[in-house]
Amino acid sequence: MSLPAHVYQVYIAASPDQVWAAITESEWTRRYFHTTSFVEPPGRGKSYRTVTADGRPAIEGMIEEMEPPAEGSPGRFVQTWHTLYDAALKREPPSRVEWTIENAGDGLTRVRLVHSDFDQSPLTWENVRDGWVWILDSMKTLLETGEPLPPVRANEGVAEVVSS
Amino acid sequence: MEQGSEVFRALADPTRRALLDSLFSRDGQTLNELCEKFPEMTRFGVMKHLSVLADANLVVTARQGRTKRHYLNPVPIGQVANRWISKYAARFTAALVALDDQVITDQAKEKLRRAQPA
Repeated sequence: MSLPAHVYQVYIAASPDQVWAAITESEWTRRYFHTTSFVEPPGRGKSYRTVTADGRPAIEGMIEEMEPPAEGSPGRFVQTWHTLYDAALKREPPSRVEWTIENAGDGLTRVRLVHSDFDQSPLTWENVRDGWVWILDSMKTLLETGEPLPPVRANEGVAEVVSS
Repeated sequence: MEQGSEVFRALADPTRRALLDSLFSRDGQTLNELCEKFPEMTRFGVMKHLSVLADANLVVTARQGRTKRHYLNPVPIGQVANRWISKYAARFTAALVALDDQVITDQAKEKLRRAQPA
């Protein structure tokens, strides 16, 4: 049986443009995404790589879609996802992460994240399952309060391997 | 929308929790598949519960071709946990780290004191 996608959705009290920046700009990602940042600014059709604050490789892949949100059309950021922060996960082929950023009215932005293509990547499927929950909550908290969630302990989600 | 009270209201019902359990063990089920798992409920009943869960942002649907699939969205539950559990855990951890630092400092002082010639 094939592994189902992980689907997450969160409403954030910020504009679609602010959420777009939080996902695609290193100044934002390093504050909520386990200190990771893009080595080069991401661009459509280009490969990308992210690293932790102390320079260890985290994720690499291709940016397949990069369409910022506009009046009446949702933002789309689609990246293939090859984990570098753990030896066993690194052996698995890339999966795919799709972000959709949409104005939900009342000053809220709906962020939907679909992580799929796990058929050859069961360890990644398991590893990111809870990890995204923390990332999305931390991103929401940062955008709404100016501060991310306090850093996780070494045994939680992605941080486990990043910090070990 | 994941207003806290909507999450708690949605989770208060045992049937809705059972629906979430079913999605947790196998995510991405169709309405038909879920109805088969709950033969004691009418199709309308399952739909109604799913719509309460969707309003609380605990279930998210996605279309795959002509099939509508239901996914458990754990983010609102994670938010509840991160707001309360982690907050206390972080404080507890910080206290332990401070204690550990203090012990190490004391030990180092003691060592230094002993190393000092009388």
